Formats: sequence, structure tokens, C-alpha cells
Amino acid sequence: MLSYIIRRILLMFPTLIGMTFIIFAIVRMAPGLTTSGGMYTAGMLQSHQSQLAQQRFMARRLHLITRNGKPIPIAIQYVRWINRIIHGDLGTSIEFSEPVTKLVLQRLPVTLTINLISMVIIYLIAVPGGVLAAIYRGRLVDRIFGLGSLVLYSLPIIWVGSMLLGFLANPSFLNVFPSAGLHSTNTSKMSYFQFVFDYAWHITLPVLCLSYGGFAYLAKQVRGSYIDNLQQDFTRTARAKGLPPSTVLLRHVTQNSMLPMITIVGMTLPGLLGGSVIVEQIFSIQGMGRLMFEATYARDLPVIQSLALVTSAITLVSYLMVDIAYHMVDPRVTYD
Amino acid sequence: MTNLTAMPELSASAALPPPRGYWAVAMRKLLRPLLVKLCVLYIAAVLVISVLVPFIATGKPYIISLHTAHGLVTRYPLFADLTTRDYLTFLTAGMLIALAAIWRLTARVDLLRRRKLRWVSALTCISATVIAGVLVASLHHNQFDGTNYRHLMKSGRATGAIFAPIPWGYAQMEPLGRQAVNEMPSWRHWLGTDRSGRDVLSRMLWASRVAMGIGFVSQFIALSLGIIVGALMGYFSGVCDILGMRIVEMVEAIPTFFLILTFIAVFGRSTLMIMIILGVTGWTGYARFLRAEFLRIRQLDYIVAARASGAPLHSVLFRHMLPNGLTPVLVSASFGLAGAVTIESSLSYLGIGVRPPTPSWGGMLNAAGNPATVFHWFQALPPGFVLFLTVLAFNLVGEALRDAIDPRSFS
Repeated sequence: MLSYIIRRILLMFPTLIGMTFIIFAIVRMAPGLTTSGGMYTAGMLQSHQSQLAQQRFMARRLHLITRNGKPIPIAIQYVRWINRIIHGDLGTSIEFSEPVTKLVLQRLPVTLTINLISMVIIYLIAVPGGVLAAIYRGRLVDRIFGLGSLVLYSLPIIWVGSMLLGFLANPSFLNVFPSAGLHSTNTSKMSYFQFVFDYAWHITLPVLCLSYGGFAYLAKQVRGSYIDNLQQDFTRTARAKGLPPSTVLLRHVTQNSMLPMITIVGMTLPGLLGGSVIVEQIFSIQGMGRLMFEATYARDLPVIQSLALVTSAITLVSYLMVDIAYHMVDPRVTYD
Repeated sequence: MTNLTAMPELSASAALPPPRGYWAVAMRKLLRPLLVKLCVLYIAAVLVISVLVPFIATGKPYIISLHTAHGLVTRYPLFADLTTRDYLTFLTAGMLIALAAIWRLTARVDLLRRRKLRWVSALTCISATVIAGVLVASLHHNQFDGTNYRHLMKSGRATGAIFAPIPWGYAQMEPLGRQAVNEMPSWRHWLGTDRSGRDVLSRMLWASRVAMGIGFVSQFIALSLGIIVGALMGYFSGVCDILGMRIVEMVEAIPTFFLILTFIAVFGRSTLMIMIILGVTGWTGYARFLRAEFLRIRQLDYIVAARASGAPLHSVLFRHMLPNGLTPVLVSASFGLAGAVTIESSLSYLGIGVRPPTPSWGGMLNAAGNPATVFHWFQALPPGFVLFLTVLAFNLVGEALRDAIDPRSFS
């Protein structure tokens, strides 16, 4: 067990290094980053605003070039970047003028909480649905659930999000839900339960938007694996022994059908993180997705490359945990 | 399509048939292909509209007679107004139709001649299109025609005109005197107007061109990349496979949307760039699929036989393996298309997609106002619904195709 975990972690490092390389390569391809010199210096400095713009522009160009203004080789830039990451320094944001590490630490918990809650909801609905669909295979329940989850999967988040916000959080229609943020303004006066209720009230619509699309894939996998296992010999034996159907389902089939459920935890998280960019923007939640959007809009390259790195690190760690859980459930499985 | 969907019915009846009444069987036999047929029809309609939209939704009349100093003059403003991009779109669509027709017509010819015939005619077709495209791009100049032809008609300076079915261009605003901003649907504007007084229906139809263009081109790029990498990994296996899979894993470890945003921040966001970005970020799934298929097919007897009989590498790869391994990849391209359309509209909704005067379904949703304060639902409903229908149609067709080629997943 321990040796498997260690080997698995060691196997993660080449991927991690390659990934940093990809991110670095993309960001380094930005036009005008590798050479110094200003095209903004002439005739653009009338107002304070354009001075600021010019400063930002130069900062964007020069944030990886030495203080003497001479470009340094790309390989050394890469090594320095990695070195700074190892020391916990992700650079300074151009747009927010703050260390990126601080920004990420502020916003990561928000996004992770919402995503984990959505994931739990997805599992709570998709797994029973998939099991029901497998049991009543080919019947009406199966059809409706299959088609319904596909329809939900196809509903664009941007449309559902703006419709929900427009009809349920709008003074001119129904003003039931708050339209922005995660907390009311007077949180300091609230008791603990009021605080939790307020939080739940605020995240209802965002979590709804994040989770409704996730049912389809998971439910389909669960259904497929239950159908496979319902036809196995051991299930027939268990039935032939005269065990009640519930015991057969829970003890014999479920335990063997857990593998796909575990795998999908790892595969859902990157998708949810991507979806949270849109959801956080629609519902004005100060999370990592919104930070990514703002950074993209402002071409804030230090923030962008750090966020790409952080999210992919989260993804890799979730893959790792999935593999370890997989190994615990079924020790026969080894990495290929 | 019907052959494919009919196939699993046979194999499914062999494996543990669930008890089903006559009505249920009949309904399913009827409904399932009907739904898929509807989806295919819908996609075809959207494609046709996206190609022919300059003739459907524009403020320029097909033909108009003007009173000038020289007497009555007949003009064709719509045809004079076609841009280079329009001509290139028509050329590409024509080429694809011609290629399909060639394939269809040569299906009956005997094998040896068919191969030669197809190659020659396809190459002629493609090169003719490329030459025509280069000619159009270099010779044709876009003309800006700001004439208000409705006003000309009204003031009596023109007699007799034939207008397009939806007589509004995608960027055409109502004249300044008329307060026509954020109008509800009316006879003048069937789906109302947006915040700049532009016709919502016309913009919606024009946006289908952006969606379909970005969807198909980006998936074409992704498919080409994925097929090349996947085929290399699957055929040569060994070191090639290990290295390739590590690269695929590295790219997949970065959440797609974040990767796309990184690309956009670095390379900008012209329509062409978004096509390339979606293609470059979306190939890993195809590569995985084709690799798995190739690893399976490699072991099959007919490949071993082909290799043992000394068939050259390109023959084994392209003649024996690729046609058999490509089907699941092409099926998953349907889901890829749905994903690309969704991502394109999400980017436009966020304001980092195609640039504003170009209509996009996502951009129109965004233009419907801030949902929390002023929300013009009649502007947000139609583009969102069309976007949903398009994504759903691609997903349903993909699902049906996957069920059809994989009898095990059939219920």
C-alpha cells in the first residue's frame, strides 16, 4: 500500500514538471514579452490614465526581465520561475498590485467550498438515479432519467444562470434570492445558525447552476456499471441463495460498482472549476474563477499563469487521491 | 443513420431482454429514430441558415429601382454588399457539398477505378476552391453601403423593391428619430430590438454562423491533431505511446476553461484565434480514443495478416486501421461540437469571445442587461433557447450514434 502511494506520487512529478513547462511556454509566447522597448512611449502620455496604462503595459512586458533591462535566456527565466514557486512566491499581480499568493489564498477557499458542495449534490442525485435506471432498465424511469439528465447537461450555464438571476433575484420579478456575493452585509450581528442560513441562501443559485449539468455523465456510468454487475454470476448466485433483493443490491452489486463512482470524482473537479469561472462571474462571487476572468480581461499574465498552475495542481492532487482510493477499494488495480 | 440505429435492436434481443409490452416496443421504435431525425434536421437547418444568412437577414433589398437624374436605374444592393467572408463561406460550403456528391456518385463504380476517380476529383475540387478563394480574397473589396433603402422607398425616390424575409442587418439600428431601443416583439421586429435598437431575430440568425463556424473549424483542428497523435501512439506503442500519453496527461491536467482563458489572454481573441484555441485545447480526448481503438485493432487477425503479407506501413495505417478505428472518434466529435459551441458562447457572454459588432448567442445574452437589475427577458430567451437546442441536438445525435455503434451500452 505505502509503496504504491510512494510510486504513484513519484509518477506525478514528471507530469507536474511537464505541465509547468506547457504553462510557461504558452505565457512566454505572448507578443512583446521577450524583448524590451516601448511602443507606448511616444505621444500617449497626456493624461494620468494613459500614464498608468503605459506603466501597466511596461510591467506586463518586463515582469520577467532583469532589472538592467536586458532580456535573459528563456531557460533561465523558467528555472527562476520554478525556483520562486518552490519558495511560495507566485509573483505580483499587475492589475491588483498585490502578491498573487495572497490573492489565491483569499479566493481559493470560496471556490473550493462551492465546488465541493456541488459535487456532493451531484452524487446525492446522480447515484440513486443511476441505480434506479439500472434496475428499471429500458422502462419509463430509465428513459426519463436518461433523456432528462442529457437535457440538463445540454442546458448552457450562461442561459440558466442569467434566467435564474433575472427572474428570481430581480426586483421587477421575484426578489427571492440575493443577486450577488456570498454573505449579507450585516454578518457580524448574526448568530451562528443565522450565518449558516444566510450563506446557504446565498449559494443556492450558484450551486444549482454548477451541479445540474453534472448528473448526466455520472448517472450514465453508474447505470452502466450496475447493469454489468447485475448480470454477473455472483449476483445470480446471491439471488439463487435466496438473499433478499436489497441485500443483493447493497452488498454484492454496490461494492463492485464503486470503481466508476470513485474515478469520476477526479474527473468532475476540473470541469467544475472551469464552470465556476462562469458561475462566479454571473453571481458576482469573489472566487478564483472570477479572479481568472478579471486577469484574462486585464491580460494580467502573472495571475493567469499562477492560476493555471494552481488549478492544475488541484486537478493532479485529485487524480492522485482517486488513484489511492481506487487502490484501497480494489488492490488488484495498479498503475499502467 | 437509420441503419445504424436499427442494428443494436438485433443484438440487444439476444442479451437478457427486459419484459416489455407491444406498445413500449412500438413507441421506442418510432420515437427514438424520430427524435434523432428531428435533431439531424435541426442541425441541417442551422447549418443552411448559417451559410445563407446574408440572403435571409439583411437590410439590403435583393433588387430595387431607383429614380436618379438618368431616369430609372435598377440596382442589386444585397449582392453588391456581400463581403469576402461571405464568398469564402459559400465556396467552402459548396466544396463540402461537391465532395459529398463525388463520394456518393462514385460509390457504384468498381473498386480500382473508384479509388483513382475519388482522389482525382476530390483534389480538383479542393484546389479549384482554394484558387477561387485566393482570387476572391485578393480581388474583392468590401464596400460599405450606408444607404437606408427603407427610407428611399418611403420617400418615393425608389419604386419596386424585393427585400429579404427579415429586412434587418445584424448591425443595422433603427433611425435616430424612432425610439426603438429594447422594444418588445412586434410586427416590425419579430423578436424585438436590443439596447442599440438592432433586430434580435436578425442577430440571432447571424450568430448561428459564428457558432457553427467556430464549432466545426475548431473540432476539425482538434480531430486532425488528435488523430495524428492518437494514431502514432496506438500504432507504434512502446516509447512513443508512453511519451504521448504523458503529454496528453499534462494537457488534460490543466482544466480546459483555464487553459482556454490563458490562451486568450496571451494570443488575443479574434474569431480565427478562438477557433485555433478551441482546437488546440480539445484534441486530447480524440487522441485517447483513437489510441485505445488502435491498440485493440492492432491485435486483430486481419491487421496481423496485412503486416505478415508485407503490406507497407502507410497501407496498414491508412487502409486497414484508420477506417476501422475512426468511427468512435467521429462519434465523439459530435459531443466535441456541442462543447465547442457552449464554450464559444460562454466566452462571448463573459465579454472575452468574438468582438462586439459580430453577433454571438452568448454576447446577445449578455446584452440583455444585467440580470439583477434591468433584465430584458425577451432578449435573453430566444438566443439562449437556440443555443440550448443546438447543444442538445449535437448531444442527442452523439448519444444515438454511440449507442448504435456500441451494442453493450444499449439498454
